[in-house]
Amino acid sequence: MLSESARTEMKTTMARYPRARSAILPALHIAQRQIGWLPNEVMDEIARIFDMEPMEVYAIAGFYNMFYKEPKGKFHLEICTNVPCMLRGAGEMADYLQEKLGIGFNETTSDGVFTLDHMECLGSCATAPVMSARRNQSAWARYYEGLSKEKIDAIIAELQTATELPPDHDESGPYHHDHHPQTNFLLARIDKPQSHTMASYLADDGYETARKTLQMAPDEAVGIVKAAGVRGRGGAGFPAGVKWGFLPKDVTPRYLVINADESEPGTFKDRLILQYDPHQLLEGAICTAWAIQAHYAFIYVRGEYAFAQRRLRTAIAEAKAKGFLGQNIFGSDFDLEVIVHSGAGAYICGEETALLSSLEGGRGHPRLKPPFPAVAGLYAKPTIINNVETIAHVRHVMEHGADWYRQWGSERSPGFQLISLSGQVKKPGVYEIPYGTTLRELIYDMAGGTLDDRPIKSIIPGGLSMPHILPDKLDTSIDFESIQAAGSLLGSGGVIVLCEGEDIVPLARRTVSFYREESCGKCSPCREGSGWLEKVLKRIEAGQGVPSDIDRLKHITKYIDQQSFCPFGPASVWGLQSTMRLFGDEFAATIAATNPEAQKPTIPARPTYRQYVGQPLENKLDDED
Amino acid sequence: MSDWITITIDGKEIKAKKGELLTAAAKRGGIEIPVFCSHPKLDPLGACRMCLVEAETRRGKALITACTTPVNDGAVYYYNSERARDARQGTLELILINHPLDCPICDKGGECPLQDQTLEHGPGHSHFWEEKTHKTKHYPLSDLIMLDQERCIVCWRCIRYLQEWEDKPQLGLFHRGGETVIDKFPAGKFDAATSGSVIDICPVGALTNRLSRFSYRPWELDKTDSICTHCGQGCNLRIDSRSHRVRRNVARENPAVNDEWICDKGRFATGFSYHPERLQQPLARMNGKLEPVSWQEAIQQIVAGLQNVSKEHGPEAVGALGSAKLSNEANYLLGKFMRGMVGSNNVDYREGSAVLADPRGLPALGDVHDADLIVLMGADPSEEMPVLANFIKRAAKRRGVKLIIVHPRRIELSRYPGIHLAPMPGQEVDLFDALTRASLQAGGEAIPGWLPAEDGAWNTEDVRAAGQWLAQAQKPFIVYGADYAWGFGARDIVTALSNWAVAAGHDDRLGFLHAQANAQGAGDVGLLPNQLPGRRPLSDDEARSAIEALWQTRLPRQPGLGYGGMMAAAASGHLKAMIIMGADPVGEKPSDAAALDKLEFLVVQDLFLTETAIRADVVLPAASYVESEGSFTNTERRLQRAPRAVKPMAKSVPDWAILMHLAQAYWGELPASWQTLTIAAVFAEITRAVPQYAGMSWENMGAEGRQWQRSALEVGRELRSHDPGFDPTDRKYPFHLIIGNQLWDQGTTFAATTEMAHLGVMAARLHPSDAVRLQVTAGDRIRMHSGTGEITAPVVLDDSISPNSVFVPFSFLQAPVGELFDRFGQRTAVAISKVSN
Repeated sequence: MLSESARTEMKTTMARYPRARSAILPALHIAQRQIGWLPNEVMDEIARIFDMEPMEVYAIAGFYNMFYKEPKGKFHLEICTNVPCMLRGAGEMADYLQEKLGIGFNETTSDGVFTLDHMECLGSCATAPVMSARRNQSAWARYYEGLSKEKIDAIIAELQTATELPPDHDESGPYHHDHHPQTNFLLARIDKPQSHTMASYLADDGYETARKTLQMAPDEAVGIVKAAGVRGRGGAGFPAGVKWGFLPKDVTPRYLVINADESEPGTFKDRLILQYDPHQLLEGAICTAWAIQAHYAFIYVRGEYAFAQRRLRTAIAEAKAKGFLGQNIFGSDFDLEVIVHSGAGAYICGEETALLSSLEGGRGHPRLKPPFPAVAGLYAKPTIINNVETIAHVRHVMEHGADWYRQWGSERSPGFQLISLSGQVKKPGVYEIPYGTTLRELIYDMAGGTLDDRPIKSIIPGGLSMPHILPDKLDTSIDFESIQAAGSLLGSGGVIVLCEGEDIVPLARRTVSFYREESCGKCSPCREGSGWLEKVLKRIEAGQGVPSDIDRLKHITKYIDQQSFCPFGPASVWGLQSTMRLFGDEFAATIAATNPEAQKPTIPARPTYRQYVGQPLENKLDDED
Repeated sequence: MSDWITITIDGKEIKAKKGELLTAAAKRGGIEIPVFCSHPKLDPLGACRMCLVEAETRRGKALITACTTPVNDGAVYYYNSERARDARQGTLELILINHPLDCPICDKGGECPLQDQTLEHGPGHSHFWEEKTHKTKHYPLSDLIMLDQERCIVCWRCIRYLQEWEDKPQLGLFHRGGETVIDKFPAGKFDAATSGSVIDICPVGALTNRLSRFSYRPWELDKTDSICTHCGQGCNLRIDSRSHRVRRNVARENPAVNDEWICDKGRFATGFSYHPERLQQPLARMNGKLEPVSWQEAIQQIVAGLQNVSKEHGPEAVGALGSAKLSNEANYLLGKFMRGMVGSNNVDYREGSAVLADPRGLPALGDVHDADLIVLMGADPSEEMPVLANFIKRAAKRRGVKLIIVHPRRIELSRYPGIHLAPMPGQEVDLFDALTRASLQAGGEAIPGWLPAEDGAWNTEDVRAAGQWLAQAQKPFIVYGADYAWGFGARDIVTALSNWAVAAGHDDRLGFLHAQANAQGAGDVGLLPNQLPGRRPLSDDEARSAIEALWQTRLPRQPGLGYGGMMAAAASGHLKAMIIMGADPVGEKPSDAAALDKLEFLVVQDLFLTETAIRADVVLPAASYVESEGSFTNTERRLQRAPRAVKPMAKSVPDWAILMHLAQAYWGELPASWQTLTIAAVFAEITRAVPQYAGMSWENMGAEGRQWQRSALEVGRELRSHDPGFDPTDRKYPFHLIIGNQLWDQGTTFAATTEMAHLGVMAARLHPSDAVRLQVTAGDRIRMHSGTGEITAPVVLDDSISPNSVFVPFSFLQAPVGELFDRFGQRTAVAISKVSN
């Protein structure tokens, strides 16, 4: 079924990776672009191209949400219903879409034009509610942001009737962002016209830092980043320079992997850099690759970021043409290949070892640590994995030096950071602030306060995974240590604000649903527990909660938190645990109000498995005696 | 020893091996940490979270998974702490919430790790009130294995087994999170040769034996430690029976032989022991028809028949065929009866005198585990010895060991890195000569003058590399198989391949791979026309007197006829009577019927009324090996016991006991030298007759068997010249006939498991280019004819077959390939034509 051009493209892609199997996700994307979905015959064909068992391809495709196992309509619309969008009216928009199209989720209109689905966070929380659209059998994909009923009407009308595809991105430019008076570096260029182009970047003295860095000894470059104390911006906050120092001496090849799988609900900062200043990232990547002496840098971009991927690929082509990437970059004897690797809809691939599993051409399951990636990562070789923003910081640190960087923040949290602010505030967006700025300054001074000036109910300061804190902590300084002292974690810097009047039970349920959907299924506590939590919370929402459910939820979260395989487990329950701790009365009150008699729920009877009951005998499953 | 360290678990000091996993160390200290995903033979995964214990760390006590934690000296763990116990309870509660708890109807119930651990470590109650997740039940993965996705606890053992041992990842995870299921590719195959191993290692009842399910509860089973007799590896297994019927076989661990794996033939093909068409009672020919008779009458008729022939035509007019599928005891007693009582050396078996096997078989199966090079010559382990094939795959995949494969077809193992050399039949010696030269050159040694000149067809880069690899290897695993050890020119091939091993300095590592369970043992115990027990020539006076003393009789001195010689003598009328035990010459070569029909008297003892048996004057119902007792000597000279697992079907009797009865009747009474009334006594006598077996006893073979010392038999190897190769094809017969074993064939003991009958593709295989030339397509029938006979078979196109050749498997009922050659005609050419419908 695969066209000759698709096969050729697959083989070309295979050749670009150090190991051909890494091209399996790209190959599935290529096949789906041609055929519109992934029939078994196509997976069988791909297996033959890759010399794999068909089962392996099938298992890989089955892991990623963006690979369709059945045909979809001409346009696949997916509306985000995750918490940041939910707080901005995604529910209403989702209802309206269903009503407008006359279909439910996971259904296709009778004319075959639209398939509608709900979706987890698309990484565009400042412009919530948001929806993605993908054109069948084409590379066209885009986001529609800031949805309203009127906008939806217009979008549907346009897609239904237009003979040409609309632009593949919102042409209004970067979404809202701002910066502290002192710190405007990472986002300094993004409002400039054509900021994403090489010409624009060079006009701002682009790539001079990379050129300069290549003159240094690699160890010197590592030393500067170490001295600057740049902490990882992916969530864990581990100092980048220290991580680089873990690379075993004399083991080659080494790889650089840049984590652009920005999927933590409430986090959307990396997308700004990728879309509007990709050369900044590439320059950081060159500096980093030189420092760690890697000749391959992989940028793992989440599959939904189609526009970002296109901009990044164009930027790489520009840089290659200039001799800034590829062989003998900047006329040196240093080679660096940068490969954009598209994910395919799996939050867990943001976890570094799961990302490596995915990049090697597998299902995105996390791996045992130790060995840590710095020792045995991609293809079991020493590998440094850093977040997009971290790499961007490296670029600026290499330009200005460690002391410059340390003029902001504290001893342990030096410098500045991009904060993604979303939820019920007047000006959600990305804010570039020095560590030490308080939550109050961010929310009230920079973002103009809350919607309708409602009082804040709680704040999630580091992406949806992190515990809520109460507004009494508004004067907490935004840095790793202070947020931790306040009872939460800074994580990926996604600050979500929730105002009084929002019910906590549906919010907790929606949070848990996200993790249930995204659990990779490897370890028992997370695989089984996340579904159980959702079932209990849905039962409470449905008015069948009983007082003992509170203890039941605590009981389940305890085990998921303490004994899951990877950090996803704890992250999946911290939100629920914290809301139950902070708003326990509200859970109890909901249960009491909806099920005052405390009637026990009906435990469903087992369905019959004998599917042939009532049918002629020859239809029975072949093993039934 | 410095490798030993001390760790502390619950305050108790335990000696552990440095770096071993905590689960293993704890076990040594008497603490069985519960696991699901962890398995001693699979890589650590850490997924199920069942083995949680507390560890003392720099940041205080922390929960860790024992199955992924290598132990360090001085480490302190708490297995029984409250937190660790609570954590394990939590894991179990979570694992159980969606498990269907259908233990009362689950095959695993009673031997289920999930059940056992729930009892020992479970919380005792569940907080779960919701509806369970529903998945597919009763899902046939293959004809042999059923999957129940609801019972599955997603431990990945089956997936990892297929990846790590079979290197055939046909099972995988599909979906993710709570919806994760084990599945195969839709409509895809699940056909690994050892696929059934996943049943043994499944810690729940998710994967069950489709042939045996619902036919027992585990606690009702009688369990007999035994071995498998489907091939020469002799894998250890346990035969589980209920009400005197074999219900299933499961693998039994023997690190030296099969680790803890068995193949699907060994596991599932048990039908021969309870097949309804088994012979139920003795039959004797009356008025031209075989009629049921009593054992007494049958034995009397045999004695009369044999004695008449012997008296009238002399004892050399009597011959006997034994079987490489039967025990040492049966074959030994057949030889003893023929030589000691009848007075004839006409004894042999199919894999006997005609096959130029190394008399010491293989040095050791276990050598493959630390080999640094693997050389396979005329052997296809994937079809002949699947468990060994897995060891080879593992060596190639995990340790990067290279393979040198010399085989006319591209075999499954050819997919691993190395060199594949494909000489056509007749060319083998030229190739081995070139390899010999290459190895000698690599070692800087002199080239003997008789080696052909360097510029032959095999003067290739691959040959030079292969010769160099073997010369430079330290511990190569070098085997040749029956394909190169019989047929026209076999002596030259074996000489030439031995030369290569000698030239590379590894003649002590060259071994032979016996495809049959007791091909080694039947020869050891003397069922050969020219050798006495102990592989000693008839001409060895000392040996003959020793055997004569043991048997208290005089032995004939004239070498007897071998298998082919006996058939020829029967056809020419010189051989008048035969005993055929567990062999079916007519089934393999229908035209032999004419020879057997000329006999005055024919006795057959077998499980079934074979094509040979229907021609017999007396047919004796033999008990199968699971109903008998006996020892078998595998391809690495390991003697292993196969005790009786079930009672013999109907009136069948074990072969060795039949021979005892026969001896008694033949002699009038049981002579003093035949007072071996138990299997242990027969075996004790064998150990006196076979010097290599000295010191062994039925008891001391133990659960894992005993190998006889390879040094007990000298085989002098040196560089020897030989005849050149040849090309059997010509214009009239332009195709090479390639014959070989196929795992799923139609052999008697395998075909009796009717549920597996369709697994094998029984067909002649042609290269697609030849098919075009012959204007045949897949599914057509072709006629193959040689100078001696013809067969017809359906065609399968297969690019692993070399052009200008046709592959026909052995044990192919429709197309008995034996028809195409004289008795020992491997390396025959055929003409092929399409059969018009």
